[in-house]
Amino acid sequence: MLLHDLEPWHFAIAGAGIAAITLTLQAVGNRALGVSTGLEEFCSLASKAPYFARPELRSHWRLVMFAGLVCGGVLSSITSGPWQPTWNAGMLDTRLHLDHASKIAWFFAGGLLTGVGTRMAGGCTSGHGIYGMARMQPGSLVSVLAFMASGILTANLLWRVIAP
Amino acid sequence: MALVFVLSVAFGFLLSRSGAADFDVIQHMFLFDSFHMYGLLAVGVGLTAPGLWLLGRYGRTLTGKPIQLAAKPIHGGSLPGGLLFGVGWAMTGMCPGPILVTLGEGKIYALAVLAGALAGTWLFGANYVRIQRFLKLPNLTTGTGAG
Repeated sequence: MLLHDLEPWHFAIAGAGIAAITLTLQAVGNRALGVSTGLEEFCSLASKAPYFARPELRSHWRLVMFAGLVCGGVLSSITSGPWQPTWNAGMLDTRLHLDHASKIAWFFAGGLLTGVGTRMAGGCTSGHGIYGMARMQPGSLVSVLAFMASGILTANLLWRVIAP
Repeated sequence: MALVFVLSVAFGFLLSRSGAADFDVIQHMFLFDSFHMYGLLAVGVGLTAPGLWLLGRYGRTLTGKPIQLAAKPIHGGSLPGGLLFGVGWAMTGMCPGPILVTLGEGKIYALAVLAGALAGTWLFGANYVRIQRFLKLPNLTTGTGAG
């Protein structure tokens, strides 16, 4: 169950929606869906490293996407109940019982791996998982198989071995 | 840019309501407890594939230029980067889009994930030339690819 105890949409409706958004972005905006490069656009605002001066990052359109994604989350919350800040993290709470400080460390560490990993691989679930897989791109295939494999391994280790 | 914003709000709303931005839904995907996310990704990819093929073949932008589809070749970062990201995704229950969506939903710890992801991105970018040869990454102006 999701926020405000909502039932998730049927996967076929959600999948069709993602396809419609990806195709509209490409057809009208002439842009390829991909969220993780937005992390680099963010860094390019503050870092002088030559890697963040690449032409790819200059238009900052993905920062607009970041703002839109946050607004989408807000909209989803306020249309189904009151918006309120929460520390609730489902299974992580019921199985690991972390206090707030440990939770921050846990999520920061996971975020760090996500930042390094997605940028090393040149994409995440959207850029490789949806867009790249739809175009049967070899780099995307390798990355998707890799992140699904290590995710499956990590989750099984966490919830079936360490905290069953 | 207005189009990007509107589509992203819709994308964020959809990620929130479909469960793709929910900690437990992601864990159940990785544990093979639920078909939901695999169905979602299969339908998403299955419908995007013919659409992109048609756009690449016949599509024109509003100003009449051909549609440019992105290529994602294999490079030295594809495998190790994917492996690292998978651990991060399982630990946090969020891939990059849902980090921002859950932040909007009001989940406070999403700020820690965002801070970590930005720190990781900075760490990678600032050290790119140092690790480039060892990892066989593309040259600096190309980067590892957008996505």
